[in-house]
Amino acid sequence: MRFQDAARDARAVVYAGIQADPLVARAADLLADATPEQRVLARAAMNGETTDADAWRAMFPSLFGRAAAVDASTRERSEAVLEASLAVADRGEQVRSQVRGALVEAVTARLLSRRVGSNAVRRERRILFDGVPAEIHPYDVTVERAGAAEAYDCKWGARGINADVLYQLDDARSHAADEEERLAVALVVFDAARSCEVRLDRQTAPHDATRLFTLETLDELAGGKPG
Amino acid sequence: MPSETISAAIDRALDAHAGLAELGETIEDEWSYVNDLGDAWRARLEAVAASRAGEPIADEVSQAIDRAIEEIGRIADANRAIDWLSTFPQVVLIALGERP
Repeated sequence: MRFQDAARDARAVVYAGIQADPLVARAADLLADATPEQRVLARAAMNGETTDADAWRAMFPSLFGRAAAVDASTRERSEAVLEASLAVADRGEQVRSQVRGALVEAVTARLLSRRVGSNAVRRERRILFDGVPAEIHPYDVTVERAGAAEAYDCKWGARGINADVLYQLDDARSHAADEEERLAVALVVFDAARSCEVRLDRQTAPHDATRLFTLETLDELAGGKPG
Repeated sequence: MPSETISAAIDRALDAHAGLAELGETIEDEWSYVNDLGDAWRARLEAVAASRAGEPIADEVSQAIDRAIEEIGRIADANRAIDWLSTFPQVVLIALGERP
């Protein structure tokens, strides 16, 4: 098993530009340290219709409200998450969709770096196995460590879970096992576990050995048992 | 004026959620997913309504749910409606102090 940079085709070049957008980095820094409620705020505001900040503040009284005892640091971080999320929403439909995808990858990479160190975390990598045709699509995020490699596919929403993604992850895991290598595979979905489970229940592609990280469990990427 | 109860607030949210599902169903390939997703979140909201039925909620929580209903009322795109079939109940549950 070996890792390789993805081909620099036109799609990759355009997407690299999105990934390098300072807004993606700023939002990812905020969301890596956000609470689950602040991440739901980001999910809602980034894919919302209104860009009126007061409307979003009103929808999340536990983050901005008067009745709840919202401490100053929670309010300050919530404001920063809201501001960055509305900046993403302001980009227009097509661009914001790409920014959201890049953002989930960036948050994943940041959280994984806390557990394994940033040198081991790579983006847009292919995984090659002897005698097996390489997958066209690279893995969004990989952890490249001898004896403890990991591969992640990142999705904005549960609807992004599909057979192709599940087969690609499970095939990589089983090809690694054939070479007596350990490759942990996982999906990271910026959505609620309940929605992901509904989507996964409909899938016949193998996924029993594919771990799932959702809005509720993103922080587990940074610590505890690896994917 | 007495405060709204949790069950009344959830009834309003469920009506709005059903409208979102109707829009999402227009994507034929996702018809059954949309229904399963709608059912899963409806069951979660109904469970909260059943366990805290008559409990009054603060005005700002009631207003939070109003604003969330207003927000999904603006959605005209079926793909976005499917995304919000998941997001909207999370917003409502957080406003009610529940975990999604």
